[in-house]
Amino acid sequence: MTKKLKDIVSDDASLIAREAWTDEHIYDLEKKGIFGKTWLFLGHESQIKNPGDFVQAYMGETPIILARGGDEKVYANINSCSHRGVPVCRSDHGNAKRFVCPYHSWSYTVEGELVTIPQERELKSCPDKSKLGLKAVPRLESWKGFYFGSFDTDIESLDDFLGDMKFYLGAFIDRFKGGVEFIGAPHRWTIDANWKLPVENQLGDVNHGPFLHSSIIPAEAAEEINEFGFSVVTNPGHGATFRLMPEDAHPGMMAWGMESPVALMAEPEVHQYLFETQDKAVERVGDIRSRMKGLTYGVYPNFSFLWSNASFKVSHPRGPGKVEYWSWSVVPADAPEEVKKTLRANYSCFFGPGGILEQEDSEAWSQQFLGSNIDYVDDRPYFYGLGLGEEKSHPDLPGQVDVCANEHYAREFFKRWRSDLESVEEQP
Amino acid sequence: MSEVSGMSELDSMSELDNMSEFKMTPELQFEIEQWYYREARLLDGRQYQQWLRLMSEQISYSMPSRINTQVNNRDRGKEEMISVDRELERAQDMTGCPLREENFAFLMMRVDRAYKMNSWAENPPARTRRIIGNVEVLEQASDQLKVISNFHLFYARPGTRDFLYSGQRRDTLQKVGEGYKVLSREIVMDYGAIDYPTMGLLF
Repeated sequence: MTKKLKDIVSDDASLIAREAWTDEHIYDLEKKGIFGKTWLFLGHESQIKNPGDFVQAYMGETPIILARGGDEKVYANINSCSHRGVPVCRSDHGNAKRFVCPYHSWSYTVEGELVTIPQERELKSCPDKSKLGLKAVPRLESWKGFYFGSFDTDIESLDDFLGDMKFYLGAFIDRFKGGVEFIGAPHRWTIDANWKLPVENQLGDVNHGPFLHSSIIPAEAAEEINEFGFSVVTNPGHGATFRLMPEDAHPGMMAWGMESPVALMAEPEVHQYLFETQDKAVERVGDIRSRMKGLTYGVYPNFSFLWSNASFKVSHPRGPGKVEYWSWSVVPADAPEEVKKTLRANYSCFFGPGGILEQEDSEAWSQQFLGSNIDYVDDRPYFYGLGLGEEKSHPDLPGQVDVCANEHYAREFFKRWRSDLESVEEQP
Repeated sequence: MSEVSGMSELDSMSELDNMSEFKMTPELQFEIEQWYYREARLLDGRQYQQWLRLMSEQISYSMPSRINTQVNNRDRGKEEMISVDRELERAQDMTGCPLREENFAFLMMRVDRAYKMNSWAENPPARTRRIIGNVEVLEQASDQLKVISNFHLFYARPGTRDFLYSGQRRDTLQKVGEGYKVLSREIVMDYGAIDYPTMGLLF
């Protein structure tokens, strides 16, 4: 890389060089300055209810096991044997008493302690097993059942990190008496794209919806966004877009889940559940948040949420030009089985690797990576200036707020991104 | 065969051992194979509207998600230990999330989309070639047939790599007049990781 970061992202982040997506050196800086430091989503408590339950996760490219220990506490360890580095867990999820390395059978508890070295009985000296457990993720905290890890022992608390995003995340999670449930293993697929574009797409880019997805999304949806839509940035890199429906809007226009054709075609039981949930929303999340009809959410650096089809997503980097994208269908934990089944289909029909909408997104992301790699356009950084400086505060909505066409969500992301990379830029 | 859509290939195979009345004939095998070849020709020819007429309006169309599972110690030494079905998160269970679970209306939406100018992920459209094989009629009861078949689907599109999709379809066909319609289809894909532009094709 010949350019400095200040030449990659302009000070107001309205211009961003193409190298931000393609450069190997920048990717190394991202690993050090972002994935090696900040809070990263690992999993949800509904996936690890019982002692011994575990799921796999990643922090950047580093494989993690998130597990509930015999003491009911949650543990996050790197999935790599202390002896020769082979992964000790190969299943996406399950319940285990021990993780056993296949190579020499060193075995670990679900909490990560080394308990068996089969070779040691032949030897005179025994290694100190207490020093040879799996490497624990140094910081592990949760908020409303969402577990995050960080490699930076000195990082701020998760609570502070999430900040006002809790207001917007809570608008969804707290709508349901029993919280939410992640269903099964995540759908995970690789896309020939840079990890930041799926993030940007889910952070606030509703502007592509009526165009890229015009074969499926009706024009009225865009009108509703133009009329009632807000784009909010709570902290740089965190953002939410949503419609704030008027007080006299029909509950059918506000109820979460009801804007999907899958739900519209569903049995009356499903409608009843969704309407009842909306009826109780004021008491559970308050007036303003009960009228919120979300669109996209993002938590820095790579955790996303899609309101209408209830999916949480993580964009795992795999080099500048490859991303392993994970997504889960998420349903209200207390919903009847048939309702959950409908809501699950509402996710998979439109999103995930088989979804009719997301196939356009992943295609656009791949094409953006190709476009970022072409020659002779070094003097043409991408334009991120839509609505520059037009965001402002709002009496009821925490953060900086504007119409959805304002790209401040992306500018704030890239300001934080630049600052995180600059913090490690000069290191050897 | 009362519950047609919920049975796996293995379930039905084990039942098959006990079914003495069902006699496979070369004529039936030929008829069913020809039916599948025609279906593949319509799909490769992008004649999705004609293809849709081969689907029952009551169709349940699903694609399980394929996961890496833990081996159950008690199953050691038995075929169940590594059975394919253990790796599937299927539409009839709520323990996981299948990649697809669709009905006729949704298939119709996919077909409609194919003929819109703005279905960007397939503009220009993919060039595909399906090879259907190992067509096996497992069961026959009244007007329904349970059939499994394998496919290789070659997928090429300008501006991207070429892809090979491989999988098995577990179908229930319903006799309608002189032909058949698909009443249920479960598509078991063979993938380690999903490294495809989309799993949303018409399989």
